[in-house]
Amino acid sequence: MYDYLLVIIGSVLLVIGAVCDVLGALGMNRFPNFFVRLHAATVGVIGGAFYPLIGTALIAFGSEFLGTYRWFMGGCSLVSAFLILILAPAGSHALARAAHKSKTAIVQPKVVDHLEEDGGVK
Amino acid sequence: MKKDMIVAVCLAIVIVIMSYIATLGGGLGPLFNGVRPLTIIYLNTTLNIHNPNFTAMSPEAVTAIVWDYRGLDTLFETAVFYLAIIGSVAIYRGIDEKLRISEGFGLSKIVKVVTKLLIPMNIAIATSIALHGHLTPGGGFQAGAAMAVIPMLLIIAFSRYFLLDIRLSRGLALALRSVGLLGIALTVFIPVVIGLVNGLNAYIMQNQAKVNAPVSLPAFVGSSLISGSLIMYNVSEFLAVTFGFTLLFILLSIEEGLVKEQMRGEGVEH
Repeated sequence: MYDYLLVIIGSVLLVIGAVCDVLGALGMNRFPNFFVRLHAATVGVIGGAFYPLIGTALIAFGSEFLGTYRWFMGGCSLVSAFLILILAPAGSHALARAAHKSKTAIVQPKVVDHLEEDGGVK
Repeated sequence: MKKDMIVAVCLAIVIVIMSYIATLGGGLGPLFNGVRPLTIIYLNTTLNIHNPNFTAMSPEAVTAIVWDYRGLDTLFETAVFYLAIIGSVAIYRGIDEKLRISEGFGLSKIVKVVTKLLIPMNIAIATSIALHGHLTPGGGFQAGAAMAVIPMLLIIAFSRYFLLDIRLSRGLALALRSVGLLGIALTVFIPVVIGLVNGLNAYIMQNQAKVNAPVSLPAFVGSSLISGSLIMYNVSEFLAVTFGFTLLFILLSIEEGLVKEQMRGEGVEH
């Protein structure tokens, strides 16, 4: 019963991941400037890689027929998910900060730019 | 734009067709399903405790082939890599770096914290790849490459002056790399020394006993398999590659101005 539930939840997470990937790809193509495109790419990474990895871990935990190896598979997925969770935001943060600091990417069209209002990057 | 779409769709179709060919075995004629004769030789000799004169005592065939079956070949490949490093050390000789405090350099605090979180995991993974090189895919070079990611990350996230702050200088990296190479060299000659002492035949780079050379390095410690010389080669290569790459990264991150100043200075003298 619980195994079945785990597989269902994992599959739902996989579908969410696929949807996030599509949305991220659309955003990469359609968004107007570097910073919002970076946002779309991060949606693709966190939504499209973090959720599906949690989903595969749950599916592996719920698949009795894999034997003992399901704990290894699920554990590997969870560790990769954790790494992506801490590394992807740090990477896009470094990119955005560098692009803003060096004025390589122009913030145009601009709604609000708190970094500029605070007097540049400290 | 339309051209890109056509190319993308064609690529997708090709990938799907190729995967069907590989899995179903149709299209390119019948796939070979048996075990090839060369494979049978390796399967019978990599780990075979019943035939102690023809075995490398390692379940990982790639490491066994690289360091035992064709050990000399690997030795010279390694030599090429370290000669390249020595070449770059020679190019960058005599460049004095002024010591600077790393405070205030590097990327933002977020990146620094994430890098600090990553480093212990990286050390654990690299060490396990090196110590399990004779059991699972991996080995000394791969482990060293994984370990060399750490100085790379430190240089990028904390600035190169941080390496000087933690006393990881060019000299130390060169010395530790030399320790690793010395380990490889000693492991090459250990069987010969054992043979000379006991008055037996032995070859250089020998791992397990052969018919006319009954010298073999211990394949087991207690009940755990260490595959004789393979673990020693892997650990030494791990040390040498880690600090070889570290040295290269330190050299590559030296400011261009300093290097040019040095080169110009030499040009004036001659």
